[in-house]
Amino acid sequence: MYRYQSSKNSGATSWVLQRISGLALVVLMIGHYILMHYTPDSGHTYDAVLGRMQFSWYRIIDLVFVTLGLYHGLNGIWGIFRDYKLKPWLKMSILTSLFILGIAFLAWGYNIIFSIPYLNNITLK
Amino acid sequence: MPEDHVKIKKFEQKEWIKENISYHKDSGNWAWIYHRITGIALIGYLFLHIYSLSTLTGGREVFESKMQSFTSPLFMALEWILLIFVLFHSLNGIRIVLVDWADGARYHKTLYRISWIAGIILFLAMGYIMFSHEILKLFGK
Repeated sequence: MYRYQSSKNSGATSWVLQRISGLALVVLMIGHYILMHYTPDSGHTYDAVLGRMQFSWYRIIDLVFVTLGLYHGLNGIWGIFRDYKLKPWLKMSILTSLFILGIAFLAWGYNIIFSIPYLNNITLK
Repeated sequence: MPEDHVKIKKFEQKEWIKENISYHKDSGNWAWIYHRITGIALIGYLFLHIYSLSTLTGGREVFESKMQSFTSPLFMALEWILLIFVLFHSLNGIRIVLVDWADGARYHKTLYRISWIAGIILFLAMGYIMFSHEILKLFGK
């Protein structure tokens, strides 16, 4: 019944994860938009970012956000490719490229979040 | 036999652009097309977003000069388009989840209309609250 190795994976897990991550992203996105755009400064000045990043919870939320965003986005792109009848080698190359792209941008994003310093003496407004 | 009179239209592979454009599309088709376009645009934006925030590692001056470059009218317009794309993708995403998990196939056309109405209301409301400073800036206040 299964002609190719890849057809053993029905894609059901990624389908469920796509919906769960999508719903989580909607919630996170509402908070992100309010946080970044409520005032002109809140999202676009270094001090605002630095002040926010003193709270580890913001870092954790951002780590989750970037992870879910990249997963949902790249899984979506993979879903588009899966709509077409591609040759197995092309399928594997695309999947590998998307995986490398995801890991690279995830590492870049994590690196940015962790590079923001914790300050010893600051007055939080 | 009635079947003899029914002409089944064949999809011409060679004319696939023309075939796709001439194909009658209802709300579901459009939702699918828009969801795809906005999705591709949003993942592209996420890469750009990580790239632009990478200046945070360089400290205050580097970051703020980068942020300054995003205040041009072009980027302001792109930010508004981004909000439209995020809203469509979110609301249609909720619609997809309802179709999959809440028997939404029975009312997906209604859901599509509701998501457009909700989207326009949210665009105006969120646009006014969050970008009001940009509106003021545009009109020289």
